[in-house]
Amino acid sequence: MEYIAIVLAPASLLAILTGTVAGVVIGAMPGLTATMAVGLLVPFTYTMDPVLGLMLLGGIYAGAMYGGSIPAILLNTPGTPAAVATALEGYPMTRQGRGRLALKVSVVGSFMGGMLSALVLLMFAPLLAKQALAFGPAETFLLALMGLAGIVSIADEDTSLIKALLAGVLGMIIAVIGTDAMSGGLRYTFGSINLIDGIDFMPALIGLFSMIQMLDIAGQRHETTIDASILEKAQKSEPMPKGIARYMALGSGTGTVVGVLPGEGATIAAFLSYNFAKRIAGVKAKFGTGAPEGIAASEAGNNGCVGGSLVPTLTLGIPGNSVAAALMGAFIIHGMIPGPDLFAVHADKTYPFIYSLFIANVVFLIVGISVAPYLARIALIPPAIMVPVISAFAVLGSYALNQSVFDVYLMIGFAFFGLILKKIGYSLEALILGLILGPIAEGGFSQGMIIGKGSPAIFFESNIAKVMWVIILGLLTPPLVAHVRRMLRR
Amino acid sequence: MLKHTFAAGLAVLGLAAGPALAQDYPTKSIEIIVPSSAGGSTDTTARIFAEIAEKKFDGFNFVINNIKGSGGQKGFEAIARAKPDGYTIGMVFTPQLVAHIVSGRASYTLDSFHIMGNMGEDPALVAVPKDSPIETLDDLAKGDDLTVAVNGIGSDDFIAAKNFEDAAGVSFNLLPTKGSTEQKSAILGGHVDASFMNLTQIIGQHKSDDARIIAMLTRDRSDLVPDVPTGVEQGYDVLMTATRGFVAPAGVPDDIAARLDEVLADVMADPEFTQKAEASSIYLLPMSGPDYLAYLETLQADTQKVFDAAPW
Repeated sequence: MEYIAIVLAPASLLAILTGTVAGVVIGAMPGLTATMAVGLLVPFTYTMDPVLGLMLLGGIYAGAMYGGSIPAILLNTPGTPAAVATALEGYPMTRQGRGRLALKVSVVGSFMGGMLSALVLLMFAPLLAKQALAFGPAETFLLALMGLAGIVSIADEDTSLIKALLAGVLGMIIAVIGTDAMSGGLRYTFGSINLIDGIDFMPALIGLFSMIQMLDIAGQRHETTIDASILEKAQKSEPMPKGIARYMALGSGTGTVVGVLPGEGATIAAFLSYNFAKRIAGVKAKFGTGAPEGIAASEAGNNGCVGGSLVPTLTLGIPGNSVAAALMGAFIIHGMIPGPDLFAVHADKTYPFIYSLFIANVVFLIVGISVAPYLARIALIPPAIMVPVISAFAVLGSYALNQSVFDVYLMIGFAFFGLILKKIGYSLEALILGLILGPIAEGGFSQGMIIGKGSPAIFFESNIAKVMWVIILGLLTPPLVAHVRRMLRR
Repeated sequence: MLKHTFAAGLAVLGLAAGPALAQDYPTKSIEIIVPSSAGGSTDTTARIFAEIAEKKFDGFNFVINNIKGSGGQKGFEAIARAKPDGYTIGMVFTPQLVAHIVSGRASYTLDSFHIMGNMGEDPALVAVPKDSPIETLDDLAKGDDLTVAVNGIGSDDFIAAKNFEDAAGVSFNLLPTKGSTEQKSAILGGHVDASFMNLTQIIGQHKSDDARIIAMLTRDRSDLVPDVPTGVEQGYDVLMTATRGFVAPAGVPDDIAARLDEVLADVMADPEFTQKAEASSIYLLPMSGPDYLAYLETLQADTQKVFDAAPW
């Protein structure tokens, strides 16, 4: 009870509010990341009251995870890789004049995911952390495989299965560029120091999403005039679709579980949630053409990671992802070494911090709901202004992350390359899945093989692995059956 | 004041051509190139240094420039390439600095730098899961079939593990990881038999009994974990630590180089600096320029041996 009083003190509320709003803005800017913001602010919190400092940083984390969805929905530019799945459904909705609803679904989904995961962190942290340790490299490989199974469900009436698979493999091939983590050897770097770390996701994503969109719009023969009815629609408040809570719950659960696993991130959580939602919703939900259900699952999924990733961070000192790692630095700087002590000796700081995450979720819910009608108007900006402005942001965003001009060329290269692929009917979504999940799968596979001393039996041994194989088969069977049916009909 | 502004203006316009003189130095901000991302441990070290140096020395102003990537190589090359006028210095860390030279990937050598001195370290150690039957390095040396995690190929852990294999006459099933997080979860989850890693990465888990450090790969026992014997005590002469030092590009005028070395030494002797470093879990290991250069040369020779035996 006294902990709740600490959180509700004016100074605490101000810290949470500042952090969360700043986080939303940081998350919304491609090129700025929560990791960077938290990392830079950690030394500043040294002189602050520890609780206030931690609340500020926690707010940034929660806010940034939600903020990434705003440009994804409105401009087809995911602010973070975790918002890619959101862009797949959100941007089509914006084009249909339903941007306001998309924003609303995204903020409510993020809120639900954040709340559930914070609750799990509060109630079950030490218990869950021990369980999560059983999750080794072999299981990581299976998790990535689960995400890659999404490639098969991309294939539908319009995209052939072969083309989707080829695009996925192409993505994985591109991800091979860089240093081989197992041997230290260089792969396809052509002597360029810029390629030693491989292709950075953000320039690739900005190229494949926003820049392609701009090239597409700029390439239209006739300038699309703004439809007055769209304008009206964007202003009108649509009610939340029925049954959407189911998808939010699904995403929240998936996100929290994936978040708890050491080293797994929000990106894979969002993709998995999205894919699960797609399977459950079936064809009638029209995934890929603006389904709010997809946004709900993906956003609940990535925000579910916030609380989830703090479970191993606080109890074992194993950060769930890079933001959690930076946040762990803030705990250490105040002498709070992660472990059981955090929940006993330092309980008066740790618990208020965890409670503050609930408030942070409420803050971005209010902010998100209240600015949605204004933000939705961005969709009404005429292409003649939109194209140059977004292109400039695309260049800036690609440059800012690593201060690298090479990344700008990379972004432009991906845009043209992606445009060609898109025109000849290859799925960019599959390419991106391969690009992001390929390296995770490779790392898990090679490490699993080393630990298994060369025997693949390790991928089938543990109970977790067995359950995961069942889920993978469950994800693969329906789309494959549907595919065979289509073939037979023809 | 006016004269000062004028001089600064000239410098900005690039008109102040000739070599800067030590008595005027510095007339503008000094850039510190940090070859890792903002917010990391190396970055924090640089920022604390800058803060204290600005407080202690009038006219000194620092700007941190993070050039991350390729295991520091991008940043190291940027320092080596910088104009040697005393307005660009940088941080280096080992063994990556010498590992890039040894693997033939770097466009610099140790001669490309004026070595100012070392600041901090993160000593290497051997950790095992808490219930592991391995209690000493002798136990570890018995197992040819043991799976041992290291940070990537060419890292300090990797070189230490290779040196230990050599000293003990064993050959491990080495598991390269993508960083200490993976190593920690592998140890805590019991997925590997042992891990070569650094003190900051596992000290918390050692203290909370979630993992066990069986040997420090340092000459003397660490004050932070006084109960852990060193490798040397256990009869294995394997030493490894990750150092973090300051350098300037080679060719900096002697008087300015001397001034920079002095600033570094003074900051490191400052109690406020020591206290801030401690709070951020930065273990200080002061070494003068010549000492640090000698250390780097030895390390390069050792790394060369490992590389020649098993190139990467």
